[in-house]
Amino acid sequence: MSDSHEQLLKQYLSEKAKASNTADLEGLRVKYLGKKGEVTELLKGLGKLSIEERKTVGAAINDLKNQIQSSLEESMRELALKEQEARLNAEKPDHSLPGTWPTAGSLHPVVQVAKEVADIFLSMGFFMAEGPEIEDEYYNFEALNVPSHHPARDMQDTFYLESGQVLRTQTSPVQIRTMEALQPPLKMIGLGKVFRKDSDITHSPMFNQMEGLVVGENISMADLKGTLAMFVENMFGKRPFRFRPSFFPFTEPSAEMDIQCIFCEGKGCKVCKGTGWMEVLGCGMVNPKVFEAVKYDTEKYTGFAFGMGIDRIAMLRYGINDIRLLFSSDVRFLRQF
Amino acid sequence: MKVLLSWLKDYIDINETPERIADALNMSGLEVEEIIQPGKNLNNVVVGKILSRDPHPDAEKLSLCSVDVNRGQPLQIVCGANNMKAGDKVPVALIGARLPSGFEISKAKIRGIESSGMMCSKKELGISEEHGGLYILDESAEIGQNIVNALNLDDVIFEISITPNRGDALSHLGIARELSAIFNLPLHRDPLGDEDGEGHVAEQVAVEIQDKDLCPRYGARLIHDIKVGPSPDWLKERLEKAGIRSINNVVDVTNYIMLDIGHPMHAFDYAKLAGKKIVVRPAGKDEKIATLDNAERSLDSSMLVIADAEKPVAVAGVMGGLHSSVTDSTTSVLLEAAFFDPTSVRKTSKRLALMSDSSYRFERGTNIDNVPIALNEAARLLKQIAGGRPVKGIADAYPKPEVLRQIKVRTRRVNRVIGINLNPVQIETLLLRLKLDTRRDGEDLIVSVPPYRHDLAIEADIIEEVARMYGYNNIPTTLPAITSVLQLPTPLQKMEKRLRDHFVSCGFNEIMTYSFIPAAIDECFREKKPLMLQNPLSEDLSAMRTSLKWGMFDALKRNILNDEFNLRLFEIGKAFHPAAGGLSEEHSRLCIGFSGSADPKDWRRSAEAFDLFCVKGLIQNIADLLKVKVRYAPGSCSVFHPAMQMELMVGKTPAGEFGQLHPNLLDNKKMPKCIFIAEIDLDKFAAAIEDAGRMKPIPELPAVRRDLALLAPVTVAHRDILKILTTEGKQLLEDCYLFDVYQGKGIPENCRSLAFALSFRDPKKTLTDEEIQPMIGRMVSRLDSELAVKLR
Repeated sequence: MSDSHEQLLKQYLSEKAKASNTADLEGLRVKYLGKKGEVTELLKGLGKLSIEERKTVGAAINDLKNQIQSSLEESMRELALKEQEARLNAEKPDHSLPGTWPTAGSLHPVVQVAKEVADIFLSMGFFMAEGPEIEDEYYNFEALNVPSHHPARDMQDTFYLESGQVLRTQTSPVQIRTMEALQPPLKMIGLGKVFRKDSDITHSPMFNQMEGLVVGENISMADLKGTLAMFVENMFGKRPFRFRPSFFPFTEPSAEMDIQCIFCEGKGCKVCKGTGWMEVLGCGMVNPKVFEAVKYDTEKYTGFAFGMGIDRIAMLRYGINDIRLLFSSDVRFLRQF
Repeated sequence: MKVLLSWLKDYIDINETPERIADALNMSGLEVEEIIQPGKNLNNVVVGKILSRDPHPDAEKLSLCSVDVNRGQPLQIVCGANNMKAGDKVPVALIGARLPSGFEISKAKIRGIESSGMMCSKKELGISEEHGGLYILDESAEIGQNIVNALNLDDVIFEISITPNRGDALSHLGIARELSAIFNLPLHRDPLGDEDGEGHVAEQVAVEIQDKDLCPRYGARLIHDIKVGPSPDWLKERLEKAGIRSINNVVDVTNYIMLDIGHPMHAFDYAKLAGKKIVVRPAGKDEKIATLDNAERSLDSSMLVIADAEKPVAVAGVMGGLHSSVTDSTTSVLLEAAFFDPTSVRKTSKRLALMSDSSYRFERGTNIDNVPIALNEAARLLKQIAGGRPVKGIADAYPKPEVLRQIKVRTRRVNRVIGINLNPVQIETLLLRLKLDTRRDGEDLIVSVPPYRHDLAIEADIIEEVARMYGYNNIPTTLPAITSVLQLPTPLQKMEKRLRDHFVSCGFNEIMTYSFIPAAIDECFREKKPLMLQNPLSEDLSAMRTSLKWGMFDALKRNILNDEFNLRLFEIGKAFHPAAGGLSEEHSRLCIGFSGSADPKDWRRSAEAFDLFCVKGLIQNIADLLKVKVRYAPGSCSVFHPAMQMELMVGKTPAGEFGQLHPNLLDNKKMPKCIFIAEIDLDKFAAAIEDAGRMKPIPELPAVRRDLALLAPVTVAHRDILKILTTEGKQLLEDCYLFDVYQGKGIPENCRSLAFALSFRDPKKTLTDEEIQPMIGRMVSRLDSELAVKLR
């Protein structure tokens, strides 16, 4: 490359370095490679040279032209991208403005907890059964081994309808209805509203229970413990639990299950009244008298049943201090879940 | 029930900590709700003697006392109580003492006079709920002695909640028996009283039982020369710590026996018993009795009474009569200990709405063998503390002595139910700790049930005792080796789940309202005459809801009154209707409530208020989601604005309704005009769910689209225009929908502009203008001639 070519290239490069947009580059293209551009002019001057010179000089000029051309193309691409980016960036809105899709609503906290509890048992092969809220006394009491005029009736203050029917005080009648309809082996849960005549910050005249029943040959109290241990582990995490003897007319033996307090981890706090334990459910082996009521073979079949207050679990889970809030329909409360 | 550790020690030498005892009882099924240690927070309270009492110079109701507490100079204490005099001994909280209420005693000036301490009542010491002035201590109290020692407050009281099956545990003996089983400790204290006395009871009183089933045993003992008066301190203290008020020595002894061995007793004034005779019989038809609580009770023949030769003197097992009760002038007492049928006592108690410690225990079953023990022990105590002279013997009517119940318990069954592997000897050992005698029958056991264990009736009951003694927490954990019969979710269950998720996605908050609502709601909310509760908590919770609309209305209104105006609520629940035979029917319902704007948080669009068509759209949306075909018919529900409501039809049956609240229901200024409620009968929806059907092929040929802008008189319904368009479009009209409605500027009065998008397609060939244009021509000419609707 001759000095003059090199000079020209240098000149081009220094001018290109100053180019800040694609229009500048276009100007350079015209200036060097256009019809009257400097490189074009050089090519035009080739005619004055000998054939020998033309070969070498021509090649040199072509080389120069190619260099400038590819340099321009590359810069053009770069700048075009930059310019596009600048243009797109100029479209940027205030990202801090809130989104405008309609806000989501919320499931009732009791429904959420009930679903969680149910999902665990459904995964363990239980099915979901239901029953009416207005029950015959037979299903709510007699069939569950709570005869009239038995002190066990004091455990649940009952609402009576004028017809003599009752608002079920527990979901246990669902057990009876299920056993009347199906033969063992069966594993069922029942969920629903129950009613007791009681109202304060820990008692509501209507609340929600989940009931469970397993009947088969050779179902034992060890099975009851294993099943419920699996439930509490999945519901509350792995933590110590214990079974305490208790009394329910429809189970014998009967028990209450406590878990280590989820607030103080067993150290003792206000919620667990300093005991380090929290009662989560009542359970027991189905009393043979209940099987007799549904005409199951008491020799062939054994079973266990359990029941828990879903509202109470929801209250523990979310730190709700007044059960009545659950039924207040207050959106300031409901929107939190 | 309150149980004293010091009292338990009459029966069992137990040296465990209160916490350990409580824990053991808990794990045995007797739930300890509280451990009370009355002396624990009573430091710096001592016995003081009032040396003088003078009026406060500046306050009429206050006294100024000088009190010796055996700590140098007597203390000057200002006191507001009125029941003390110089010479009385009282508890004195010294400066720095802290009372159970948390109150701390400091030096204070009361109406200008310095007071260095405080004289206390029982309530202030936290040992009784009783008000009534200062606690005047026994004269023998030692001045300056710590009150905890002076009053034996260094005791532990367990508050135990006893399940209805364990009547046997409703006494100190019962709890001690349980502790003896748990800790494997011997139980002692034999009955101390005997039948000795003067003369013979048979000469002075006759007992006759007329109904042996309701009263299998009745025992009476007579004691003469009693001086009715206050009980000694030890007795008062025990009763008060156990939560029973001391009345007089005779009544206190009967209560003491009840708390001690669990047998309720009654004391009659012998002088007031006509004919010196006790007859246990059903009440006469119109008999009345004034009971101890000073109320006149009407009896009926289902109730058992204790009568003298003339009249009832007690309601058996429930409460004594006023007339024959022990008074200060009583000198001869007839003591009663009996066994009454639990069910009969409970029925009577319920019917009279009269509960007592006695009925509570009889209902749960008492120990028939305790009849003589209770009488003899009471006689011994009355001799000791009331100067009584017992008459020899018990008038004990026990026509058919009870035979111990025998229960066969199979070792295999025990192991099968509990899931363990014990041999008969191990089972026997466990049962023996509970004083359950057994005898072997091959591999099985025959258990004799003591008369106080009314809860042990069948084999399962004994299995529970084995499990309790074995320890529930020692039972292994396994999983049931069965596979349940399969029960899939019902269509209704599936639908409810689907709807819940859908509504939450659409921004609705789920509510749960009571199934019972006020009796006095606006009639318009009633679909039927509601089922009423016999015994509601209040009038406001007394009628079973016949629909969910009132609950939704109430929820919307309450939120609006809290200044929450933009509401989207839903509830899924049951409505209750009367059914044949006085029974009930339950209907699954979905209720939806709207107020304010659909999306108040969208800052680009002005928040548009909900209107009837938002609601209609949502209903259509869920009908499509659930694959239920619905139609809309004119509504006539009085909850709604008459012109702003529709009825929802599934086939030919109504399946719900929706509309704008009737203006008459907007009874608060804050309530916006446009509040909407919809209610759907889910049972009808669940029955009408259709299958999605077979897939239709995706069209290969393009559709031709035409828009029609029409000018229609406002009286012409959208439905009628649509009908002409679809009839004329025949099979080629693939889709036709309204995309704009306009009324106002540029449109003649009483007209509106409706714009439709029409889409034509022939699956076999590409449609041309020539084929579509005549069809549109026919549509336009029919619209004009039939409805006076013109092309714009």
